[in-house]
This record gives sequence, C-alpha cells and structure tokens, in this order.
Amino acid sequence: MSFDLSAPSPMTQWWRCHLADWLKLRRTLALWLALGGGALPVVLNFLIVYFRGEKLLAAGQNPWAKYIHMSWQTASILLLPLFLILLTSLLVAIENRATAWKHLYALPVGRGAVLSSKLLVLLQLNLLAQVVYVVLLLASGKLLGLLRPDLLFAAHPVPLAGVVTMLAHSYLATLGVLGIQYVAALWWRSFALPFAFGIGGLVAALTLLRWEHVDYLPYAAPTQVLYLLSKDAQGVLTVQPGIALAEWCSLGWFAGALLLGYGLLSRWKTAD
Amino acid sequence: MSYLPVVETDRLSFAYGTRPILREMALAVPPGSIYGFLGPNGAGKSTTLRLLLGLLRAPAGTVRLFGHDLARHRVALLGRVGALIENPSLYDHLSGLANLEVTRRLRGLARGRSEEVLALVGLTEAAHRPVREYSLGMRQRLGLGLALLPDPDLLILDEPTNGLDPNGIIDMRELLRRLQQEQGKTILLSSHLISEIERVATHVGIIQHGQLVFQGGMAELHNRQVARRHIVIETDCAATCCHLLPAGLGEATVASAGTLLLPYQSREQLAKVARHLVLAGQPLYQLSCRQPTLEETFLHLTETSPVL
Repeated sequence: MSFDLSAPSPMTQWWRCHLADWLKLRRTLALWLALGGGALPVVLNFLIVYFRGEKLLAAGQNPWAKYIHMSWQTASILLLPLFLILLTSLLVAIENRATAWKHLYALPVGRGAVLSSKLLVLLQLNLLAQVVYVVLLLASGKLLGLLRPDLLFAAHPVPLAGVVTMLAHSYLATLGVLGIQYVAALWWRSFALPFAFGIGGLVAALTLLRWEHVDYLPYAAPTQVLYLLSKDAQGVLTVQPGIALAEWCSLGWFAGALLLGYGLLSRWKTAD
Repeated sequence: MSYLPVVETDRLSFAYGTRPILREMALAVPPGSIYGFLGPNGAGKSTTLRLLLGLLRAPAGTVRLFGHDLARHRVALLGRVGALIENPSLYDHLSGLANLEVTRRLRGLARGRSEEVLALVGLTEAAHRPVREYSLGMRQRLGLGLALLPDPDLLILDEPTNGLDPNGIIDMRELLRRLQQEQGKTILLSSHLISEIERVATHVGIIQHGQLVFQGGMAELHNRQVARRHIVIETDCAATCCHLLPAGLGEATVASAGTLLLPYQSREQLAKVARHLVLAGQPLYQLSCRQPTLEETFLHLTETSPVL
C-alpha cells in the first residue's frame, strides 16, 4: 500500500493550530474581556479625578505621574491577576464545553502544537488587553485635559516612554500567573476549579504583601512592579531601570509551570 | 489491488488502572470495506477506537494504519483519517460553517472545502446559524462533516446514527454506501444497533469483554447463522417425542411442553423426523426450519464463543 508518510513540519502544525484558535475566539467572552477589561480601572480613575482632581493632584504640577500611578495601582493589585485567572479559564473552557480535546488530538497536529498555540493566544490576549488599557489610560488623560483644563493635563506632554516601559514590566510580571493558571485550567478541564485555585493564590498574595519574600509569589508580582514607578523633581513619570526580582520570579514561575505542566499533561492526561 | 488491512492491531491491550478493558485484540479491517464493530455496552468498542486514533496509549500491542505503525507516524497517518468519536465536538458559539473552518484550518485544507462538505451532509442552508440552534440530528450530520472534511481514506465512526431520525438514518446509510462503493473508502463503524450494521456492513467484528469473538465477512456470519438452523416441532408432548426420535437424527432438546428443537441437517432429515413421529402416533401440528436472526447469532457469539 503506497502511502506518503511525510507529516507537516512542527512549525506548520503550530501555525494551523494558531489560525484555528483565533477563529474559535469569535464571539467569546475571552475576547471581549481582553478588549474591554482594561476600561474598568481607567473609567474609575477618570471619574475620581474628574470630580475630585483638585484634591488629589498637586496644584500647578505635572498631573500625569500621579494619574498614571493611581490607575495602575487600581489595575495591578486586584484587577490584573483577576483578569488573567478569568482569561485562562475562559480560553480553555472553549475546548472543554465543546468536548473538543478528543477531536483536536485525533487531527494531524501534535499535542505540543495544540498546547503552545493556545499559550501564544493567551500571551497575545494579555498583551492586547494591557495595550488597550494603556491607550485608554492615556486617552482619558487627554480627555481630562479638555474637560478639566485646570488640572493641567494638556499643559504637559504624555509620558509615553515611561508608560511603555511600565507596560513591559507589568507584562513580565503577569507571566507567572498566566503560566500557572493555564496549566491548572488544562489539568482540571473545568472553569470553576482553576478559577477557585487562582482566587486562592490571589488572596494569599494580597495577605502576604508585607512579607519580605513576597517578590517570590507570582500572584503578587503585578503589585510589586508598582514600586518601579516614580517621578523626578519636575514631576515627570519615571520608571526604574532593570528587571525587578518579582519579574525574574514571574518568569521563573512561567517557565517552571509550563515545563512541569507539559510533562504532567502529556504523561497523565488523556483526551477525554 | 492490495489486501493489506487498512487497520490492523496486534495483541492490543489496554487497562484503566487494574481493570482490563482490551485483551490482545487482533483487529483487521480490509481495504474498501464497511467494517461493523459490534459489541454490548462496555465491551471496549470506544476504547478500541480511541486507541486506533492515538487518543489513548496502549501499554501493549501495536496499531497499524495503512500498514504503518501509528505510534511512529501518528501525524502523517491521521492526515488520511476522519473520525467521529461519540458526540460530535462542536463549538456552540460558532456557526456550522465556522466549525468546519476551524478543522479545515487545523488540517491545512484548501478554501472552499467546508462549503463542499456542508452540501454533502445537507447543511448548506443552516451554514451560518450558530450550532447551539442545531437539532441533535443536525449536530450529528455536522460531526460527520468534520470527519469527511479531509476526504479521508479511512473513516472511523462511533455510533454515527445517534440522534438521527429514521430518514436521517437512511440518508446516513446511503452516504456510507456511496462513499464505500463509489470512492473506495474504508469505513470502520461501531454501533450497538445490530440491524443497522447488518444493512450496511460488508465485514463484522464482534467484541465481548475486551476480546474479539468473531471477525470476518458478512457472508461468513450468515454461514454461522445457517449452521445454527433448527427444526421446530410443534406437538402435544415434546418430552415423549424426544425419546421417540433415533439418535442419528440429531440431539433433540425440549424447548417447552409442546415444542421440540432439533439441529437442522438436511431436507431428508426433516422428512425422516415427520415419518418417525407420525408412525409413532404423535400429533404433528407444525414442522418448520428456523434460522436464527443476526441478533440471536450475536448473542450466541457474545455469550459462548471462544476468543479469536
């Protein structure tokens, strides 16, 4: 029996998985969460500053650093980890609800391609959400410049370089949670269990925020990078150079969770 | 034409923990056949199909598809296989067309193939409706569409008529026949509906307690049915008649007070039975030859047959 035994390359398999994964995102809560999730902290801080700005911002000074810090704090401590926990659970739930694992694994693509493609989608959605957040944040500052000229938003330039640097730090700090939650969602194949696990991790991190070794906790990393934000003598937003310990730990958790997770999943998890 | 089996397992075994599911299974699905895979619930049909697709890893034995080891060439081999395992895996938030497009992209198939398959399974008009609005039958047809998408040489279908109404079942049967006869596809079809397998299959494998108890062509199975034909004698007292018949006519068994059964040998044997009983003064209300149904043969095989 003549038969062509050439399989598509791993890269081709991975790319096919990735195209399919993006198509599956249509009309899903995961996509809407990534696109709209960043609006909440921005809107909250916009309203606070619009109505009480004169009491919160130092009169006559550059307001951007304070405004960005306030908003980033709201986002990082609770909303960002919560977003990651929800996003990973929702993305994996797309396959769980469709009982699609058996279908996926019976197709001519490797398991590594299937799992790494989903990981990349998560990384992209995480980046998309954070970029949308930053754009909305800066746009809201510009809007405050129009609506409340007395707050001086329009009188000072947008601190784009600082915000982009902070975005990079924040992104690194979220990777640990993302990796752990992704493996948990794949392992449990349910929405509730990984979500509860993540909430447990988040509550533990918030409880231990004053602990001297808190930098090692992945769920606390988005909060820890807030310490990198400051302002110079002119009130211009600055971000400390270099990668913080919390970010290194986040990267370590990310790599560790994925390696351990892949080993466990490929050894023990069937495509039921 | 090659007669190398399209699907072949050798001493395939599997267990969930310490509970054995399959024991040294030797399945052989000939090319171009519709192979009906029959067995009672829990016999190991779905586990076998999962092993054939690489969804489960067998601790012992091998699976060969198209003559090649599945463990070594999984991705290449699965490119020529379409499968529907239990309930179709469908994304309810997507349309029927989008569901096919997901799998088309995963398989790297040409654009336009999804629309062709939708037409083949009769879902063109519902192409853009979300799958959550589909009936059970439509979902099953879309599941079959997913399996047919790569124009596979081998189709593995687990209970494909689940949820279909009688018309749907007839359509499915016709489609499978057409795929086999006109396109030479090999179809491995598991079902608990014996009548359905009887109508469509060219070959049959019967599994019981994780072991294959029969495997062969439908003709071979019919021969077994013929071999188990019985003479049914309706009389007043079956026990008396039983003693009156000479041993050379076969071993008679009393089925009920007035019914006697005798293994069928020939027309001449039938005539001799009639003569003996009439000469002995026994009333003879009915004398007939009865062939067991496929269901009875299936039950006989799953209850008594030694393992192949």
